[in-house]
Amino acid sequence: MLELVDISKRFKKVEAVKSLNMFIEQGEIVGLLGPNGAGKSTAISILSTLIEPTQGDVRFLKKSVIKKPSPLRKAIGVVPQEIALYPQLSAEENLLFFGRIYHLKGAELKQRVNEILEQIGLTEKRKALVESFSGGMKRRLNIGVAMLHSPKILIMDEPTVGIDPQSRSYILETVKRLNQENQMTVVYTSHYMEEVDYLCDRIYIMDRGNLIASGTKEEIKQILSSENTISIQANRWNDTFITQLKEHEYISNVHVEEKEITLIAPKEINLFSDIISMTEKHHIDLRSLHVKSPTLEDVFLHLTGRALRD
Amino acid sequence: MKGILLARIREFIRNPFSFLLFTGISILFAWATSSATGGGSDGLPVPVYVEEGADAYENSLKEQDAFHFYMVDKEKLEQELKEGKVDTGVKLSEKHFDILVGVESPNAGLIQQAVQEVYTAETQETLIRESAENKGMNADQVISSYQEALTEGTFDLSVQSFSGEESWKYDESVQRIGGFAIFFAIYTIAYGVVKILTEKRMGLWDRMILSPIRKSEMYAANLLSSFIEGYLQILIIFSVFYFWRGITFNDRLIEILLMLIPYALTIVSLSILITALVKNVQQFNAVITITAVSLAMIGGAFWPLEIVSNPVLLFLANVNPIKYGLDIIQGVAVYGYSFTDLLLPMSVLTLMSVLFSGLGIHLMEKRHIE
Repeated sequence: MLELVDISKRFKKVEAVKSLNMFIEQGEIVGLLGPNGAGKSTAISILSTLIEPTQGDVRFLKKSVIKKPSPLRKAIGVVPQEIALYPQLSAEENLLFFGRIYHLKGAELKQRVNEILEQIGLTEKRKALVESFSGGMKRRLNIGVAMLHSPKILIMDEPTVGIDPQSRSYILETVKRLNQENQMTVVYTSHYMEEVDYLCDRIYIMDRGNLIASGTKEEIKQILSSENTISIQANRWNDTFITQLKEHEYISNVHVEEKEITLIAPKEINLFSDIISMTEKHHIDLRSLHVKSPTLEDVFLHLTGRALRD
Repeated sequence: MKGILLARIREFIRNPFSFLLFTGISILFAWATSSATGGGSDGLPVPVYVEEGADAYENSLKEQDAFHFYMVDKEKLEQELKEGKVDTGVKLSEKHFDILVGVESPNAGLIQQAVQEVYTAETQETLIRESAENKGMNADQVISSYQEALTEGTFDLSVQSFSGEESWKYDESVQRIGGFAIFFAIYTIAYGVVKILTEKRMGLWDRMILSPIRKSEMYAANLLSSFIEGYLQILIIFSVFYFWRGITFNDRLIEILLMLIPYALTIVSLSILITALVKNVQQFNAVITITAVSLAMIGGAFWPLEIVSNPVLLFLANVNPIKYGLDIIQGVAVYGYSFTDLLLPMSVLTLMSVLFSGLGIHLMEKRHIE
């Protein structure tokens, strides 16, 4: 349905996206996962025809849309990362404004505005000015505006940034419902692994402009099928302990946080005794030691050596 | 386009504070600094006290276009000068006249010149009459021929100048009102245009690009709403002084306002050019403040350009929209120029408007693509 073919984008000296290939089929939710600066927003902007790639092609229904973007533009609704709303207009006025620029009129426009307000749970706040809204309400209206003209594809660029867990959950449920009830195709970018894990059928993982993995959730997790994630918890660490962990022949991707170290090791090797002896040697006050099945976060750590939110 | 305009009007109604602030400041400044007399009506007002035997000069003075000579008694003349209601007064005697100066201004010399002309003409007529009578000629016929020759003239002479010292007339009220009105309009217009930058940063612009609305409509709606705000401000300021203060602007207020349309358009275009050159709103705020004050100082919004002698500043004034805006205001209100007389400043402003907007939109689009 929608394809990015060997897309690259260079901004002066920075190559934001490098040879990206991606396809989106009708009715699926595709996730684009990566840390800040991975190139997700650039990829989304190219996908939605807002910027032209330096190289490569964007195809919608097998036709290039780089020079003639209007067929794709009619079919997409874009939820930008920013709150792209008029703060001094009410929720209803914002929807009416964007409805009008999509040439909706009269009773049809009013009906659509009512439906959207219902879907995003802002019917009671329809007359309130956007500037008085909470972050979550603004995000919901931001999504509502993109759905106003009933697009076939909803492209969402980090739609849950900076909001409370309740609003995040509401947004995720709304996206899921739109996909299931209306068969809406969704492209969802995030650096929250759990959101992509919950919503998406297929996932593309990006880092520093490169596509580093793609496939269904199961296929991606399969990358680490022969390995385990080990989590070590303690009150504090010392550098020599961490150095020794990193130098261990079977340990890879040591990621240190304040009270937790995660590392990846082969399933067939039992490292418990090694780790315990290391903690004793370096006077580490060990609290717990867990072995976990790999998550998307672990896959990312394995592929890049960095955590998603680094 | 209609939708964007409606949204802008709603925003304006809900947040009119900056507009009201700039309008209020303009009125306050012009009110406080302009003289209390009814300037801009029939020329600069000059009180005249006529002594016995000098009545003959009274009517000739009243016929002068450049100044509004009005007769008062001696006490009233002295009082108006003391209170600073007028800069200059005149005392007419049979054989001579006195120019009474309360506050030094360039007008004193011009008033003296105008009164001198009246005295010279009267003396000349008296001499001609006496000479004709001595030679037994019909004095009235000779005087009539003399008047006819004066009216028709030997040569066709045309004078065209805004700044030539010999033809310079200064009306402080018009200068102040016009200067502050078009100066503060720069801020109102510029802060309207810079919303394009804010909307781009907020993602609103991208949202509209993806919709069926054309980019030209997006620019047109944004620029038109900024123009309306700025022009409305100019209209309010002039109306306040016309209706409340009795400044008549030569009874041609509507013409002045219509002829200022190219000025407001030029400021819209200048703002779009500055918007295209800066990177963010903070930079824009700094640049527009410096630009507006510089334009006002060089263009003659705060003081008449006629007192400026530096050739560099005078050259810079010629590429300054404020100078042409003031030329229009003073041309109509002080000099009584017609629409065709003022085609030059209007054409220059229109040219500037086309150049600035063309360059501004081109740069903005180019940078956006990059």
